[in-house]
Amino acid sequence: MATRSQGLIVLTLVACLAWMGAPAWAAASADPPQRIVSLVPALTEVLFTIGAGPQVVGVSSYDDDPPEVLTLPKVGALLDPDTERILALRPDLVLVYGSQNALQTQLAKAGIPVFEYRHAGLADVLPVFRTLGTLTGHETEAACRVAEIEARLEAVRTRVAGLPRPTTLLVMGREPKSLRGIDASGGIGFLHDMLELAGGRNIFEDVQREAVRASTEMLIARAPEVVVELHYNVEIKESRRDEERALWQRLGAIPAVRGKRIHLLFGDHLVVPGPRLVRAVEEFARAIHPEAF
Amino acid sequence: MGVLGPNGCGKTTLLKLMAGVIVPATGGLTLNGVPLRQLSRRQIAQQVSIVPQETHPAFDYSVQEIVLMGRHPHLGRFAVEGPADVAVAHDAMVATGTVHLGARSYMTLSGGEKQRVIIASALAQAPNLLLLDEPTASLDLGYQLAIAALLRELNQERGVTLVLATHDLNLAASVCDSLVLLRQGRVLAQGPTVDVLTPSLVRQLYDVEADVSFHSGAGHLTVTPLRRDEATR
Amino acid sequence: MTRESSKDANGPTAHDWDHRPLRSRLMITVGGFGTLALAVAVLAPLVGSTPIDFARVFDRSIPFVDNADAQIFFLARLPRVLAAMVVGSALATSGVVLQAMFRNPLAAPETLGVSAGAALGAILAIVLGFTVTVGPFSPVPIASLAGALGAATAVYLLASAPRRPLSTAVLLLAGVTLNAFISALILFVQYLSDFTQSFRALRWMIGDLDVGNYVPILASLPLVVVAFAMAAMISAPLNLLTLGGDVAATRGVNVVRTHRLAFLTASLATSAAVSLAGPVAFIGIVVPHLVRLIVGVDNRVVLPAAALFGAAFLVGCDLVARTVMPATEIPVGIVTALVGGPFFLWLLVRKV
Repeated sequence: MATRSQGLIVLTLVACLAWMGAPAWAAASADPPQRIVSLVPALTEVLFTIGAGPQVVGVSSYDDDPPEVLTLPKVGALLDPDTERILALRPDLVLVYGSQNALQTQLAKAGIPVFEYRHAGLADVLPVFRTLGTLTGHETEAACRVAEIEARLEAVRTRVAGLPRPTTLLVMGREPKSLRGIDASGGIGFLHDMLELAGGRNIFEDVQREAVRASTEMLIARAPEVVVELHYNVEIKESRRDEERALWQRLGAIPAVRGKRIHLLFGDHLVVPGPRLVRAVEEFARAIHPEAF
Repeated sequence: MGVLGPNGCGKTTLLKLMAGVIVPATGGLTLNGVPLRQLSRRQIAQQVSIVPQETHPAFDYSVQEIVLMGRHPHLGRFAVEGPADVAVAHDAMVATGTVHLGARSYMTLSGGEKQRVIIASALAQAPNLLLLDEPTASLDLGYQLAIAALLRELNQERGVTLVLATHDLNLAASVCDSLVLLRQGRVLAQGPTVDVLTPSLVRQLYDVEADVSFHSGAGHLTVTPLRRDEATR
Repeated sequence: MTRESSKDANGPTAHDWDHRPLRSRLMITVGGFGTLALAVAVLAPLVGSTPIDFARVFDRSIPFVDNADAQIFFLARLPRVLAAMVVGSALATSGVVLQAMFRNPLAAPETLGVSAGAALGAILAIVLGFTVTVGPFSPVPIASLAGALGAATAVYLLASAPRRPLSTAVLLLAGVTLNAFISALILFVQYLSDFTQSFRALRWMIGDLDVGNYVPILASLPLVVVAFAMAAMISAPLNLLTLGGDVAATRGVNVVRTHRLAFLTASLATSAAVSLAGPVAFIGIVVPHLVRLIVGVDNRVVLPAAALFGAAFLVGCDLVARTVMPATEIPVGIVTALVGGPFFLWLLVRKV
């Protein structure tokens, strides 16, 4: 355990040294892009964390982390990218969603390089750091960040290893003040991966979809032992949180309610597959395995 | 009684006023001495029924159902027809020769048959006064004569008072004892058919020169239009 | 009520004419469809994606908290079946009444803008995260009920100008206009919201019968019962409307009052249904037509038949929705649309 993390750090140092001497990749341009526009909040966070922040000139409407982005121009998001505004910023690299085909075509016509982001599992998140690092001329920092994150993740893994994995319902959303319309994480996707890493067992691990509408019958039948609710758009005051937890009394027979293991987590770091996901994983683990922390 | 006049002179409006469907802005109507205003819709409907110019049922009702609808103003609170109502409706269908059509879908009938069914429905209302708006407008000759004969029979043998709004002068002449001529919403002339149906009045009403004479074969006055009257244009 | 004399000395008896009295037709219809509805209601909670043991469900010796079978039956399935019955019968009744009032077989509860109003209310509640609760009722049903009733009021006011009786043509136009306007508003709100909220709002609009709770069902009952009572009152006048308002008036029908009551009936029933389960598509069109194919077009028979059949039909659709795909459920609105759409096409082809 301890030796493993030490080993990782040594490896990182060696890698950092090696990279410094390596020839620049042919794929990366001679000068890294200085005017980056990012439509993907997760990627924006990655850029800032690897030191490419000063190279960013435009962000999506939903970006709010780190604080520096609040002053940057907004260019729309997944459903409504504002091509005019993007072009007006004279970008030399635009980070887009894989599904934004129309936008990509327009940018290609304008001769602007594009980086496609595809939402996938946890294992795909860290390689993106590296790729962006290379693209923006921050390979070293990217590698260091990746190493840090991997180390912290590994720490969590170790802490919960060997502990029994309770069946967990990970709630991504539901109707306000009601248990109707519960959207839960299915068996694929980075939320599921984070849950598994944190030592929980997704009650919907057999469902090969990212999101599942959990009906009352499903919840009773699958009987989760822990419920973790993610609240990322709203903040609920401490005083009102008991009321939210109390909503679950309607399903008073499921183990999570009987064992009082309903956890409310707040913040959008919970759902953004970027550098802050470590915090999310740690919070998951604390909720699921309070005994280990 | 017949109400004659060119299109738009107010024949239909007059009938609607008489049936209490529209309320006059000024003046009033009385039914058997009682002002219409004082009567409830139901009370009026029990005495006056109307056969409209065109009927397009929105749903596929059977002939029976349509005739039975005429019983509505006589039905009790829950609008359920009893055997007596069925009998009245049956009687109306006998009178109009439509019994054999009872179970058929109304929409599948010919124009003449439809008209007779609607008359049966209006008869089922057991009215004292039956108003008809252009009853033969879209019918071919055979049916026109049949309807005319039916109306005469209803009037003479069953004592139903008829008010016929039509621009078919010959129909009016064959059925009606008295006429009211309307032009642009005003009464041009009224009185016994024999007195009112004259060439000069026909010319005033329709701008048409016509020959009016008693046709012994038909048994009533007939009007033969000759030519358009250019002088009054 | 009906004067039931078995002999009629004066004229031809009922047999001559082959007229079946309303009472017997009603009894057969209600008996038949009622049995169907009851059977479906009793069997549906027993079937589902999770196998349950009926003996265990009713075994009182096991405490409820330990009895998963009973929990599934009483917490998950039974409310769902009851909700389906209320929603199905309400929407079907609304459809019949609107079709009679507008003299148009294609009229549906969605026509009057009430569904759209409910959707707007719900979406605002979802996107803006309303937290106002009234007693045991959560924000989204409250907001959607408010939206539905608001839209109905708006349409009514638009359509009843002074010095002019309530005209169905104007009512229809007002409903269509309001529909369009509210739909635009809904799109606008969705545009302003983020992807997840948009998705959830859209999901609400497909309809969801998983109430999991008896309280909303009980709350919707008064509205629905009042609507049914009014519908019964106007069932005969609705028949008379078929030849047009003027003809109906000459037969003693108070046409304006009938239209008003019809509108109120449809609005109340639709509002209750949509705030309970979202706008479930096609029930208001498909069920009345199916019923008419079986019992004819007399509204006095069609109305109770449609209510009963609507209940059974929606329970059936929901059963399919929650069992057809393993491990997940498809929204009930998709099933009703998949059944209703082709049926509707067939209806059109038949008529043409």
